Amino acid sequence: MKKLIARTESISKNSSNEHILEVKDISVSFGGVQPVRGVSFGLTENSFTSIIGPNGAGKTSLFNLISGINKVDAGEIIFRGEALQDIHIHKIAQKGLVRTFQGAKVIRRLTVAENLMMAVQGNPGDNLRGFLNPRARSSFESKSREEAMRRLEQVGLTKFADEFAGILSGGQRKLLDLSRALMTKPSLLLLDEPFAGVNPTLVEKLLNVLEELRKDQEMTFLLIEHDLETVMRISDRVIVMAEGKIIADGLPNSIYESEVVIDAYLGSRRRGAK
Amino acid sequence: MSVFLQPGFWVFVLALAGIYGIFSLGLQIQYGVGGVMNFGHVGMMAISGYTIAVLVIKYQWSFWWAAFIGVALAALLGALLGLTTLRLSGDYFAIASIAFAEITRYWILNSDSVTGGTQGTLAIPSESGFSSYTTEPDVILTWIQDRLYPLIGDEASRDLAMVLVVWPFLFLFIWISSRLQQTSWARVLRATREDDDVPRSLGKNVFRFRLQTLIIGSVFGGIAGIFWALQFMLLAPEDFLRIVTFYGWMILILAGATRVKGLIFASIFFGFLYGATRFLDFWPLSLLSSPERAYLRVFLIGLVIVLLMLKRPQGFFGKREEMVLE
Repeated sequence: MKKLIARTESISKNSSNEHILEVKDISVSFGGVQPVRGVSFGLTENSFTSIIGPNGAGKTSLFNLISGINKVDAGEIIFRGEALQDIHIHKIAQKGLVRTFQGAKVIRRLTVAENLMMAVQGNPGDNLRGFLNPRARSSFESKSREEAMRRLEQVGLTKFADEFAGILSGGQRKLLDLSRALMTKPSLLLLDEPFAGVNPTLVEKLLNVLEELRKDQEMTFLLIEHDLETVMRISDRVIVMAEGKIIADGLPNSIYESEVVIDAYLGSRRRGAK
Repeated sequence: MSVFLQPGFWVFVLALAGIYGIFSLGLQIQYGVGGVMNFGHVGMMAISGYTIAVLVIKYQWSFWWAAFIGVALAALLGALLGLTTLRLSGDYFAIASIAFAEITRYWILNSDSVTGGTQGTLAIPSESGFSSYTTEPDVILTWIQDRLYPLIGDEASRDLAMVLVVWPFLFLFIWISSRLQQTSWARVLRATREDDDVPRSLGKNVFRFRLQTLIIGSVFGGIAGIFWALQFMLLAPEDFLRIVTFYGWMILILAGATRVKGLIFASIFFGFLYGATRFLDFWPLSLLSSPERAYLRVFLIGLVIVLLMLKRPQGFFGKREEMVLE
């Protein structure tokens, strides 16, 4: 494990200029619980990194800190050279760091299309001044709707476009959450178990979409995922967390074979698979 | 009961309904669109109405400028209320908003030298000794009455002139509000009713959106205050009790909180309920005096709200499926 972490730290130090995100020794406590303890890592631009770990390892708490939903007690989060820890959530998102939610938060009383259209950045209609310019508003809305329909087609939700999002199943909500985050055209997307409850054929299709986005739009991804097959297929780096700390960090294959990781996390899963 | 056959009764109901319609429109934008639970909305009406009375009577301002300042002050206080308390979550904000309205009313009640205190606007100190603030708008109302008199004779009342002034404004404001609620601005606000984290993590400044809806709602509350002041020609602190805000809430619930056009029907229904109880003189209500019967409206309005919550929580015009989505 020490060897793996040492290797990553060395990469971080040598290539800090290329990092889109740097997480430096961050910690947070809620009452007597400390879900994240001294976590540090860096993400290079256009990379695809996955975080794995048992339940309660602190993965989602880490996402909450990076995306600004919770504030760190100690440490720094640097995104494109700018410290994020004192910035409001909405400003973090405006800078291009966007996330999805583990519980797939959809706005139930907005239609599926409206959920997506809400995410578009720079909408003149979001501002009251835009009310005075109906032509610009209407034109932007048409484009947003087109973009939303395109995204819905990618995830097979076109027929639900004008239905309330509250009628969607858990898996469909995951797809909507993912599509909505993509509508913001982020440069770094944090995906919190986006494939849980989604059928395997669609997961395959979504993985292709993510790979295309990475290639064509040079997006960077940080994924929390329990399905190791998916992780191994799409990631070029895997971080393993347990008890709020990073216990391993390296290439997918090396992680898969690490004794420490097998003991802490993979062992039970491999045994379960058998 | 014959009073219900008299046009004058229905004209009064419509005048009241128009004013309460505008008042409730403010609550509709705040709660129906933005989920902001304001239980102190009456404070905005009080601020605007009293600003007019004080500026016109005490300082001899023009009514129109005083009305403009009254609404601007309501908007400003809406902003102040929002800036100081809007970060509180729903229930806590509701409590803070009640406190705001009560502070406003108590200030009016205890500032005799400015507001006339318990005696109302009649006691506002004036150099000219003249305590009316409606002289300028009365010219317009009288002009309308004069035009109507040849057509309908004595039925051409001041109340009818008020109806003809207030209702076009109500329709105009409903139209503006409907347009506003079709924008992406309102879409973000509707999202904030359910969840703050989603719009925030999509780059939307939830606080700004909520503050804006609070200010817009306060403007409508302030405008309702102008018409209230005009309709009753005399203001007293007890006109602005907490119950007035809840009259507005009843109209909103009746209409369906998300259905702006439902306010038209709901405010007329409320106007009838408000105006009619005093005249319900059949047994056993005949055992009560007229003022006691007038107070029945408070019970009736409470009963209507309870029944609506039980039988039709989405209101008359709301969609039930919106209420049951989980």
